[in-house]
Amino acid sequence: MSDVMKSIRRTPYQSFASFLILLFTLFMALFFFSITSYLNGVLSYFETKPQVTAYFQTNVKEGDIMNVKKELESSGKTKDIRYTSKNDALKIYHDLNKNNPLLLEMVSSDILPASLEVFAKQPEQLSSIANYLKKQPGIDEVVYQQNVVDNLLKLTTTIRRVSLLVVGVILFIAIIVLMTTTAFKIALKKDEIELLQLLGASNFYIRKPFLTEGIFFGWISGSTAFLIFYAIFFYFYPFLKSYMGTITDIPLFGLAQYNLYVWPPNAPFILLTYILTVLFGMLIGIIGNYLATSKYIK
Amino acid sequence: MIKFENVSVRFGSGITALNTVSFEIDTNDFVFLVGPSGAGKTTILKLILKQLEAAQGTILVDDLNITSNRFHDIETLRRRIGVIFQDFKILPDKNIFENIALSLKIQHISNAEIRNNVEEVLHLVGLPNKTLLFPSQLSAGELQRIAIARAIIGNRDIILADEPTGNLDPKTSWEIMKIFKKLEKKKTIVFATHNTDIVNSMRRRVFVMKDGHLVKDSKKGGYDI
Ligand SMILES: Nc1ncnc2c1ncn2[C@@H]1O[C@H](COP(=O)(O)OP(=O)(O)O)[C@@H](O)[C@H]1O
Ligand SMILES: [Mg+2]
Repeated sequence: MSDVMKSIRRTPYQSFASFLILLFTLFMALFFFSITSYLNGVLSYFETKPQVTAYFQTNVKEGDIMNVKKELESSGKTKDIRYTSKNDALKIYHDLNKNNPLLLEMVSSDILPASLEVFAKQPEQLSSIANYLKKQPGIDEVVYQQNVVDNLLKLTTTIRRVSLLVVGVILFIAIIVLMTTTAFKIALKKDEIELLQLLGASNFYIRKPFLTEGIFFGWISGSTAFLIFYAIFFYFYPFLKSYMGTITDIPLFGLAQYNLYVWPPNAPFILLTYILTVLFGMLIGIIGNYLATSKYIK
Repeated sequence: MIKFENVSVRFGSGITALNTVSFEIDTNDFVFLVGPSGAGKTTILKLILKQLEAAQGTILVDDLNITSNRFHDIETLRRRIGVIFQDFKILPDKNIFENIALSLKIQHISNAEIRNNVEEVLHLVGLPNKTLLFPSQLSAGELQRIAIARAIIGNRDIILADEPTGNLDPKTSWEIMKIFKKLEKKKTIVFATHNTDIVNSMRRRVFVMKDGHLVKDSKKGGYDI
């Protein structure tokens, strides 16, 4: 550790450059990771909602509706189909309006429609399911969130591609910068490295201080990127919260069992992003330093 | 035991730094390597340390053929060898203790043991109270002792000394030689020099080098070229 401090004091500008480029890289990686996992979460949130709801005219017989249901099920595109009868609908209506006797008086099961809620296996199949339902006799209305899901899907795919590209490019630059600054540090210690080799030091012994320094820079840059990112995030949190409305408890990549929630972000999720950021930083630090030392230490 | 069999070294510029040199040095022997500047003394030392590759010939250290293609364990070889470099190679930004300790630190020896060992060798070379000074605060003679201390610490059993009295006054040179006399029973020592007085009065084995050739090998010899 004291070796790292000594090295930083000896090459302050190079060290600062390493820190800045790592900070920038990790901030961007963290930013894109958060956006991607957030969008992914929102997408799967909408995917778990009844995706297509078909309301039938009130005069359609239950048997006809069940036929439609069976036929849809045999298409293999659906994950689940829920039937809501007129009576079920009335029950739901009653629950919703418990405190409003006037509204309850006005409605009987006759005027409420029966409906099918269809969950698709893949969001891409939504529109064909909706089209199929629209063509059935006795259909009153087909409601589905095609636009929401489609747009989210497009956005998620685009963001994932863009972030891979951007992070890839920054990563490349970061490794080049780290290699250059490390090469500079190595040049300053050329005599020492040569002496160590002649004394019989192992290559690992010679590399170790440079690797330690890479790990240290990964850690300090990762921590700083993390702090800056969450400072900005919590500054905008009230705004985001009003935008998200009632949508809450979105698990990371649908992995609800790990107690990692993207929205609103819970402590385990924030901790995970911290660990990932720092580990990623250390990895970049190690790679950059390893490549630089490889040029001098065979 | 160090054995050279028809060893030659050529440099790219067409210089033959060593020309079919053969000799054998027994374990715990003391050999002077003498000859004018450019004769090939440093080249021989560098070959033993495997800092340089021979173009031809075989070099054995004990039963180990270090010129063989199958020889890879340079680290273990070098950890057996203590070198006093012609240019000292003492690191200016480390203090005396750290400079000497380096020789042990690379072998992952505990700090307590390092401390004891450094104290011991500093007594041996006669500089017990200078551990916290930096190289720039020492005289040439003192630096030479530090270089010796670093070379002999930690049971390195072969000592290669490259003109260790090169830029010292006669009195200091003799003090340095006293240190070598203390060491010679337990170590194989190859001592390159062109200091006639020292060679003649020590009466040890002498290899005389000239233009890359080993021209004379005299037991308990003198040096009068
Ligand atoms: N790296 C090198 N490149 C080219 N020639 C060298 C190199 N090192 C040594 N030589 C040449 O090899 C010869 C022997 O050198 P050296 O062993 O250093 O002599 P000494 O130590 O006896 O003064 C000299 O002619 C020297 O110029
Ligand atoms: Mg020489």
